[in-house]
Amino acid sequence: MASLPPEVAQPSVIVEPERSTSTVAVAQRTWDVVVWNDPVTPMDVVVVIFRRIFGYSTGRCTQLMMRVHHEGRAVVWSGRRERAEEYCVRVQVAGLRCTIEVTT
Amino acid sequence: MARLFTRQRGGGVVVRLNELGRSLVLDAARRVAAAERGEESVWAALLASPVDPSRADDPLVTLGRQRDMASNAELVVLTAGEDLLTDAEAWAWLSTLQVALRGLADEHAVTDEDALAAAPPDVHERVQALQTLLFSLASCL
Repeated sequence: MASLPPEVAQPSVIVEPERSTSTVAVAQRTWDVVVWNDPVTPMDVVVVIFRRIFGYSTGRCTQLMMRVHHEGRAVVWSGRRERAEEYCVRVQVAGLRCTIEVTT
Repeated sequence: MARLFTRQRGGGVVVRLNELGRSLVLDAARRVAAAERGEESVWAALLASPVDPSRADDPLVTLGRQRDMASNAELVVLTAGEDLLTDAEAWAWLSTLQVALRGLADEHAVTDEDALAAAPPDVHERVQALQTLLFSLASCL
């Protein structure tokens, strides 16, 4: 293996680049999966979709569905952004209105 | 009234739809599939709903979602004449009919209960027909 010329050789002490505090903060944030109400979706369908995607009990799914119905939206899952995105897409593929947002 | 879908003891969902019901399912699935190809502009917007409204979505996420919706719709087109669905096929039916219901509502600006009540009779009828199918199918899943 050819050696690098002295001017581009690696320093003997490798200094890690500083991560800005904002980058760290973004990575550590918790994200909410939010399901929004719509006027046409049957309630039972919402319960089935929640049970199938999140694996919650029927009782918990019914509670979440009722919150969507009465309050216009409900947080159905919270956690890391990648998983929140994945859950959100699965809910959207099942035909419900769903987004993600930073937990407040 | 006879149930439109029933769960079979050994697994799977029995379909008891007449020709009119099956044509409704087929039409809904074809429109969802067409939306994925960009041929149904109003419904295409539904398929492009943002995941995170505060910033542009990752194109791979958008493509993945559209691919999954289209796969479900194509599976429904393939099985629209079947009398017995596997659980995976029944889930594809539920997802596709639900996407179609939302597409129909968006297309006719049905944003709340009042707008639904004021919708033209044919739209109201199609919304109710899709709701009936979904309600019955949900009871089997």
